Amino acid sequence: MDAWTPELKIELEEAAYQIRRLSIEMITYARWGHPGGSLSMADILAVLYFQVMGIDPKNPKWEGRDRLILSKAHTSPALYAALALKGFYPLDHIYTYCEPDGLEGHTDMRRTSGIESSGGPLGMGLSVAVGCAYGLRLKENPRSRIFCLMGDGELNEGNIWEAAMAAAHYHLDNLVAVVDYNKVMAKGFVWNLMGIEPLVDKWAAFGWDVLEVDGHDLEALSEVFYRARWTQPRGKPIVVIAHTVKGRGIEMAEFNYKWHTHAPEPEIADAMLRALSHRYNRPELGYSKLGDEREKETFYGGE
Amino acid sequence: MAGNNPTRSLEMRDVFGQMLVQLGGEYPRMLVLDADLHTSSKAGYFKSSYPDRFLQVGIAEQNLFGISAGLALEGFIPFPCTFAAFATRRALDQVAISICYPGLNVKIPGSYVGLPTSRAGTSHNCIEDIAVMRSLPNMRVADPGDNADMRTIMRAAIETEGPVYFRVARYTFPDLFGSEHSFEWGKGEILRPGKDVTLFGTGMMTAFCMKAAELLEKEGLDAEVIHLASIKPIDWEMIANSAEKTGCAVSAENATIIGGFGSAVAETLAETTPVPLARIGVRDRFVTSGSIGDLFRIHGMLPEDIAKAAQMVYAKKTRRTG
Repeated sequence: MDAWTPELKIELEEAAYQIRRLSIEMITYARWGHPGGSLSMADILAVLYFQVMGIDPKNPKWEGRDRLILSKAHTSPALYAALALKGFYPLDHIYTYCEPDGLEGHTDMRRTSGIESSGGPLGMGLSVAVGCAYGLRLKENPRSRIFCLMGDGELNEGNIWEAAMAAAHYHLDNLVAVVDYNKVMAKGFVWNLMGIEPLVDKWAAFGWDVLEVDGHDLEALSEVFYRARWTQPRGKPIVVIAHTVKGRGIEMAEFNYKWHTHAPEPEIADAMLRALSHRYNRPELGYSKLGDEREKETFYGGE
Repeated sequence: MAGNNPTRSLEMRDVFGQMLVQLGGEYPRMLVLDADLHTSSKAGYFKSSYPDRFLQVGIAEQNLFGISAGLALEGFIPFPCTFAAFATRRALDQVAISICYPGLNVKIPGSYVGLPTSRAGTSHNCIEDIAVMRSLPNMRVADPGDNADMRTIMRAAIETEGPVYFRVARYTFPDLFGSEHSFEWGKGEILRPGKDVTLFGTGMMTAFCMKAAELLEKEGLDAEVIHLASIKPIDWEMIANSAEKTGCAVSAENATIIGGFGSAVAETLAETTPVPLARIGVRDRFVTSGSIGDLFRIHGMLPEDIAKAAQMVYAKKTRRTG
């Protein structure tokens, strides 16, 4: 894991910006997707993929790599963007999102290089991550880490807590769970629909080491993942509760459940991306496929 | 059936447990996972032999299958062991999406299947597992007819890359096959050639089909008995050829007839060789507690019921062909 430097900060900011930009590009082009949760985890992915995780795009199944299980698989656009930026496949491939044989709407490990598991139904990823972490231990691979990125709403699922219990029972300190705590689920605020607080106490009571962080502060994320990876492990699994803003980076989507599942119209996407470039002090850049719209499918009136 | 078979040997679940140990010796990457049932499922044999490759997950079946998926991702061959009822009803999403969708190398034994499950009753008498598992893409499904079949199916399961579901009945069943028995995916086996009617059996019901054939012989009917342990893929060719020859058929399974083995036979016949067919199995009812004999009587699944169904389809055929 690279040390924190001004150059690294610039690189991570650029990665976070591009993950956001490409997420909106692919969701708009596919006319389907989950912008809110893709944007909220962009900074987490930037730090993980561009600083923390040991991975090799040329050798995606390298045994010594770190693995990331995306439990909140509906926000795959952000992960697809990160993998494209890392060179797992050409950037243009993102425009196959939600097409047959392209990037799957959720995640398909058999079809996409760099994707470690197939998912979609919420609440299932942590169990898979526990299996991987246990497997690494059986293989006597002490170096690789399993990261499991979860949403906050999916913590309503019982399966998560079965897995949490097992991870602590087996002292899986090679497992780092990350909660993208953006406070918003599909149809409203988490605290309104099914509250998950006190979240720190819950994880602690299940036997985990809990770290809290501002999930949009790149340096703080870098620090917390350094701890989780190198200095904290002591026979307990670690959960990083990353406080984030749903839709972060695009004002109209921020903290707004209406942008949980909603593809912007091309003109709206264009305005969103221009605003995003201003926010990141980048040259103004709109939606790249604005003049290149595919016919809207009318089969059965579907989108 | 248990209790009145003079050549009674080991319970099928014991053979399952012993075979886990044997395969464990040959495949160092094989793991057995348990959700607090290992003395019932007999996965405990493996626990005693290979404690380091035995993983207890507690009473948490969704987690059992999720963890198995993760272990398979890391190159292991997990056998998550639980009752069929929980492998299908409780953890279907994990089985379907975490395991079958990516085609992971997980072998799923379903214990306590169908009617003979002691007196546990409706919640534990799993009748829908064949139907459910058969509908999942990438999944192979098998129901062994006797202990030799159990052994060969388990070997085939571990030698075949990808997800497999196989049934493990609890009790002792008559031996149908010798030690030279072999199993191949998508291949049936003619146990008794005949010309008047075909009895298609899977799992423990094949033995009942053999008894039914004896009963039919006394009535002057020459029944062919075919054992189809491999339910998915199923032996289309053998089913079609036999139906072509006999012109009528009965299917028998220790499960619901809706969507299960009987449905697989019916689908095959309808698309290749439509002939009169009757299906023996549970008919859209839950299976309550009861003695094994009572349950088979109540659900009309005894050899006598198979023979009666055979006579009925034979009569239909004769009416048709004059």
